[in-house]
Amino acid sequence: MSKRTSEAAKARIAAQREALRKQDQRRRVTMIATIVVVVVVAAAFVVWSVRQGTSEKVTGGLAAATVQEDGTVVMAQPGVTTPVVDVYEDFQCPACKQFEETSGATLKNLAAEGKAKVAYHVITIFTQEPTKSNSLRAASAARCVTDGRQWLAFHDKLYKNQPSETSSGFSVDQLITWGKEAGVTSSGFDDCVRKQGNVAAHQAYTQQVMTTQKLGGTPTVKINGKEIDSKVAFVPSDLRDAVVNAAKS
Amino acid sequence: MVQLASGAQVSGHLPSERPAHSWVTTAARVVLAAVLIVAGALKIGAPALSVQAVLAYQLLPESLAQVVGYGLPVVEIITGLLLLVGLFTRVAAGAGGVLMVAFVIGIGSAWARGLRIDCGCFGGDGTLAAGQDPNYFWELVRDIGLLACAAWIVVKPVSRLSLDSALGFGGAREPVDEDGQDEGRDDRA
Repeated sequence: MSKRTSEAAKARIAAQREALRKQDQRRRVTMIATIVVVVVVAAAFVVWSVRQGTSEKVTGGLAAATVQEDGTVVMAQPGVTTPVVDVYEDFQCPACKQFEETSGATLKNLAAEGKAKVAYHVITIFTQEPTKSNSLRAASAARCVTDGRQWLAFHDKLYKNQPSETSSGFSVDQLITWGKEAGVTSSGFDDCVRKQGNVAAHQAYTQQVMTTQKLGGTPTVKINGKEIDSKVAFVPSDLRDAVVNAAKS
Repeated sequence: MVQLASGAQVSGHLPSERPAHSWVTTAARVVLAAVLIVAGALKIGAPALSVQAVLAYQLLPESLAQVVGYGLPVVEIITGLLLLVGLFTRVAAGAGGVLMVAFVIGIGSAWARGLRIDCGCFGGDGTLAAGQDPNYFWELVRDIGLLACAAWIVVKPVSRLSLDSALGFGGAREPVDEDGQDEGRDDRA
């Protein structure tokens, strides 16, 4: 009796070991399959993300750029009046720097291709130091540049050298140096930057923009007066599509 | 006879342990998964924005911020999906918990340093809209709550409506082991 029980028990142990082995095997297969699926999905997402984040290169030349009386800078091929892309930005704002690095080239290309009239509105959104003074000095200096093409080069240079939000930066000496490096030839540029004489005009312009445009912050991008989502503005291919579609409608 | 008794004991043991916690774990899974998937999905299409949101914390250098900006939404979505279907629940919950700890540290440090930023948890570039104040307290409460969900799942990973259960992982394994031990005792007797 005891022997039979023992044999039956052995058989059951064997069966259970087999079941356990099968379960382990199933676990292993599932784990490998899951890892493969996860890796494939992750790779697909990353590839797509990289594409969404890829900036255009400025391939051809730039469209004509003019500095207007109020300080707005318009970049467009002659005769191109629509769609209008308005960019509201602050030289000190980190997100504006990110926007310029990501989508700046797209705007330049669209203007050069005659597909858009781009208007840059430099304002100061900061109310605390040191960011406020940094922003005002840089914006005042930009107003010392009279040539549109040179203004664009200076504009790009300022973003490239944007100071941290916690430290004093955009010193007049730096601004003068970067102006020279950007090819600014305006007469009296050094003096103009040093005197910071355009601060009042810039603040008045900021005031006027803030009241008429009802901005939630910077950067704000508008196409034909309609604000676009930052998820479009910061995705170069989507921004291009939005501008091209605006031209059609 | 003893075998039968022990067998009955084992099969009776399983359902009695499961209902106690398994629905709670299921709920925790769904909550954590939903937040992770939504947060990831809202960020994933615009990586430049996501990178900017990371930079706003002023914690990571540019290169690492790039990696986190691009990678975090992917990790959030995949972790969320695994939790939602309940596959390798414990590992996925562990990953979710690590994310929550990182978020709590990030938000807490932004608060401590007096930064005025948006957490960027569900998209955006990390800047507050005009006239908006930081919301660190509730962001921390939310993430600590989610961390608690993750911790619960790690401790009690067996749950209803999960692939782990359907495939016989986790919960089903213990009774087999117990049964084996019972047999051993039986053999000795």
